[in-house]
Amino acid sequence: MARRQKAAESVRRHRRRLALLGTSAVLVLTGALAACSGANSTGSSAATVSGTTAASDGGTLTILDSDTSLTLDPAQSWSLAITTSGLTWRRLTTWKIGPTGTPEVVPDLATSGGTPSEGGRVWTYHLKSGIDFSDGEPITSYDVKYGIERTYATALSGGLNYQKPLIAGTAGYTGPFSGKQLSSIQTPNATTIVFHLNQPYGDWPWVVSTTSLAPVPAGKAPAATFGQHPITSGPYTVQSYTPGVSAVLVRNKYWTAASDPNRTAGPDKIVIELNQDPTVEAQTLIANGPNAQDAFGADFVPPAQLAQVENDQSARSRLVTSPASPLEYLAVNVQSPRLKNLKVREALEYAVNREAVIIASGGTVAAEPATTLITPGIAGRVAYDLYPVGLTGDPAKAKSLLAQAGVQGLTLTLATGNDPISTAIAQAVQEAYKTAGINVVIKSLSSSAYTPLVTGNSAGGYDLAVSSWQPDFPSAMDNIEPLFSSAMIGNGNYNISRLADPTVDALITKAEGTIDATAAGAIWAQADKAILADAAVVPLVYNKNSFLRGSNVQNFYIGEFPAYPVYTAVTLGQ
Amino acid sequence: MSSQPASSTSTVVPPVAAVKPSGAFARLLADHWAMAGAGVAAAFVLLAVFAPLVCRITGSDPYTYDLGALTGSGLPRGAFGGVSATHWLGVEPQTGRDLFAIVAYGARISLLVGIGSTLLATLIGTALGVLAGYSGGLVDTLLSRFTDLTIAFPQLIFMIALGALVPASFPRQFFMIAAIGVFGWPSVARVVRGQTMALRNRSFVVAARVVGAGPRHILCTEILPNLASTITVIATMMVPGAIGTEAALSFLGIGVPPPTPSWGREISSAIAWVAVDPWYLAAPGLALFLVTLALNAFGDGLRDAFDPRLTGKGR
Amino acid sequence: MKITRFLLVKIAGMIAVLLLVSLAVYLIFYLTPADPARTECGRVCTPAELVQVRAFMGLNEPVWRQYLDFLGAIFAGRSYGSGAGAIACPAPCLGYSFQQHQTVLSLIGQTAPVTASIALGAAVLWLVTGVAAGVVSALRRGRALDRAVMATAIVGISVPAYLVGLLGILVFGFKLNILPVSGYVPLTQDPAQWAFHLMLPWCALAFISAAIYARLTRSQMIEALGEDYVRTARAKGLRESRVIGRHALRNVLIPVITLFGLDLGALLGGAVITEKVFSMYGLGALLIGAVATTDISTIAGVTLLAAVFVIVANFLVDLVYKLLDPRV
Repeated sequence: MARRQKAAESVRRHRRRLALLGTSAVLVLTGALAACSGANSTGSSAATVSGTTAASDGGTLTILDSDTSLTLDPAQSWSLAITTSGLTWRRLTTWKIGPTGTPEVVPDLATSGGTPSEGGRVWTYHLKSGIDFSDGEPITSYDVKYGIERTYATALSGGLNYQKPLIAGTAGYTGPFSGKQLSSIQTPNATTIVFHLNQPYGDWPWVVSTTSLAPVPAGKAPAATFGQHPITSGPYTVQSYTPGVSAVLVRNKYWTAASDPNRTAGPDKIVIELNQDPTVEAQTLIANGPNAQDAFGADFVPPAQLAQVENDQSARSRLVTSPASPLEYLAVNVQSPRLKNLKVREALEYAVNREAVIIASGGTVAAEPATTLITPGIAGRVAYDLYPVGLTGDPAKAKSLLAQAGVQGLTLTLATGNDPISTAIAQAVQEAYKTAGINVVIKSLSSSAYTPLVTGNSAGGYDLAVSSWQPDFPSAMDNIEPLFSSAMIGNGNYNISRLADPTVDALITKAEGTIDATAAGAIWAQADKAILADAAVVPLVYNKNSFLRGSNVQNFYIGEFPAYPVYTAVTLGQ
Repeated sequence: MSSQPASSTSTVVPPVAAVKPSGAFARLLADHWAMAGAGVAAAFVLLAVFAPLVCRITGSDPYTYDLGALTGSGLPRGAFGGVSATHWLGVEPQTGRDLFAIVAYGARISLLVGIGSTLLATLIGTALGVLAGYSGGLVDTLLSRFTDLTIAFPQLIFMIALGALVPASFPRQFFMIAAIGVFGWPSVARVVRGQTMALRNRSFVVAARVVGAGPRHILCTEILPNLASTITVIATMMVPGAIGTEAALSFLGIGVPPPTPSWGREISSAIAWVAVDPWYLAAPGLALFLVTLALNAFGDGLRDAFDPRLTGKGR
Repeated sequence: MKITRFLLVKIAGMIAVLLLVSLAVYLIFYLTPADPARTECGRVCTPAELVQVRAFMGLNEPVWRQYLDFLGAIFAGRSYGSGAGAIACPAPCLGYSFQQHQTVLSLIGQTAPVTASIALGAAVLWLVTGVAAGVVSALRRGRALDRAVMATAIVGISVPAYLVGLLGILVFGFKLNILPVSGYVPLTQDPAQWAFHLMLPWCALAFISAAIYARLTRSQMIEALGEDYVRTARAKGLRESRVIGRHALRNVLIPVITLFGLDLGALLGGAVITEKVFSMYGLGALLIGAVATTDISTIAGVTLLAAVFVIVANFLVDLVYKLLDPRV
């Protein structure tokens, strides 16, 4: 069955879904990606990556997806930049993700990644000219502004929304449908757009790359219906969409490859088949029948099928595994009375058995041990280990720390989602802590009960929680701020550790306001260490996601971030 | 009961008080298939009740991981899904948990929910059926409407909706017993009502009324004992359906949550592994099938024993 | 007069039940801890925005008010929010799914044909097969064919439906590669493909129920064959096929059809499981997804629809039963 955190990129931070209940909350825009397999960190054979740098045009690519619905209105999209939304939406900037190398933010509709001024409080972009929507109208700065204004309409709530609290003067603004505009987004002419922010923000170029900031033509995008037949800016446009069944993307005849070096747009047509069962999907791709050869799977290959692939020569060559990236962690509720003592929390850091967690996650093909919060693949990451223990932990040290704290017979409640992998990890943690004399009681909950418990406003009900996180864009900010900023406690936000450390908050604010990426990276690394010094979290493993492609799919690879294939590079063979 | 059609329980009803119990019992004992079914079912009940003791022989339990029994990709080492001296039925992939212990403890859930919900349905159904059949008139009409409406309810759908909302602190087993039992009583009530109405006009009941016996006395001494055989048959035939519904709910993900072992949930996980480890499916799948088959065979035998018209040999 | 009164009473009863069902659904979801407004609000959500979203979805009202709005919307339609950014839901409005960005009615319109195809096709298959097997078994009572059919039947009722389906996929889909393992093709698009994709689901769902109806038909048939009117018909010299076809079968079919009416609720349940097994997006899949995301509107709409279907179908079966058997 599907692993938690399935292909719904939107649930990077969400708990493992009930595999069986078909998590339809995932609003993933899967894109068609044709890619050669290979290009993992283990450097698989060059033969799979080589050969098709020139786009092979044509063919119909099929993407098998377990989601039951897609969000085709950019204002409500949770999608990553290089999956489905990368096929239909261009933004001022986008991501450059190759088979190797650190991800970069690169210009897409704009001529540069953005020009900061006033210390990073104001950002200016100039648009390239000659780029049109799928209805033939040119894309102007007014359209970019309109697209952003739409995200403030309550009817279009949802989506990533990073820009909403950052843009200045938006208090009480409810969108452009009543005719009101935002004065903090200036458009002096059709090719210039200037953003005035509430604070200096170094990651604005990344924020601008998220789907919500895609241009939308004013007056042609009513809230209720634009998501059925959107007017797109990317290489593809939507021919049809039937919830629960499929979406069909066809070429946007106004898109030109010359204006868009970041997208290959190989296939003529892309069909996204929805409501697939992840196990059946993986088995279909392993079998590689005539219907599967031009297809790839948008979902992680479940552990059972990973075992099946091991024994299948052909399938092994068509399996792509990401480098270790999303973080699986144990949140330590620092506001729990049992965990107020730092030494007790440090004991938790020393007693954990990462080997058992790796096996629970599916083995070394699926996970690697984690010791930092900023995940591999994020620029500026510093690898360190504040609590060096072997792979199996150091229960003796944990016991001595507990003795120093004068704590005996400690019992803790561990909350987890009730999908198989989260439960397995919780049990691995339970067993490890037992050897250190800590009694762990597991509270296994469905996702609709787990989320309100850990993200709600009450600090009671759990001491520890198993959780996972992948940033929405490759910035250290998104590894740290949503999980450890004191402003993110409760109200449905994800500071499950409920850490309210002024030092950490100050580092976060400073890093966010630092425009120079290298300098910002160093401050984020400091924040990372400070949080671990607080022992507010036990990093467990970095996950590796595996995907399968049919034999005719080429240029299918996964970069260092995100742990998903790059849909915009996929092509089909002849 | 929701996934098993009502027709499975509303088959021919044995006539009331027309059969001497001793004759029926003899017929039952002579029915080989029914006795075999009873034996198998009893064996599973014993296994469920004594699960901790039995598992102590191998020193295993359904919760503890045994990663040493697995290969690097999470598959069981050894033939037949990892069968060994400590793991009589092999191990679960990815965790190494003992499948025999899972089957034994899973039997607890299946039998507890199956028998518990049947008891609940029988209690409610008998009470309401007798009330409707004996009272007649307006009470009967109202209760019959109510019965019809409960039957008409989209049961599985409502159970799915309810299952997601019941708070996690409420033990799932009791929720399932309540849900399956509450949707199962109409089949019992209908039959009991019919029987009660027929009994009400029998001479010995009329005589008791003439003599001045109150309704409670009549119900307890005249009517209920004569319903006993009917109720027993119906209840026995309901149990396998209830067990099946519990397994179906677990399959859909709304049964008992992990790590509590449950046959339905194990089966749904095991299906994904069939290509590489079919033995993982065999253990809980066969267990569920055997228990259901055994109880069906026994139920058939019981029904036939109380109704000689049907036993022309061959069932 | 009598018929009118009968109809009126029945219809009043049906409406009462529907109201109860819908009220129960609303009450239950009021108790859930999950907050659909927070999910809808987005990844980054300020408290002020959360208040706006909650008001937009109508979740800030007391539950009785929400329920009345829901009922009213069925007749008069409703709109969420106001002004240019409002979302309209025209009558009959069963609610609006914020997760799927569509009205519940349109979602139901897309998914109901799938469930209907699965359920009705399987029902026809199991009735025909089950009754035929039961009749044959009764006629050859005690002989090898009877034993074989009844043995198969008892195995059939002991196997869980989903297991039959999953094994069917493995054997016929992957190993033998003769039947498709998933996907639904609309009848209007391609009738041949529609039936082809439904073969496995129909057989899986029908297998168990055919077993039940075979057993039932057999016992009813045996009883009917022992009745006086059959002996009389035989004594009159009627052909055996006439005796069975015209007389015995008629009286066997009445209880069978009556019980089929009772089974309509189970039929829907069986279709739900089948949809999951075969990855078809019908009402069951819609409901399961809505439950996972606490999409109250969709849950209420689908549950209500299911109740309507079962109640109306039962009513029709009752009518047919009364027509067939004037004694009642």
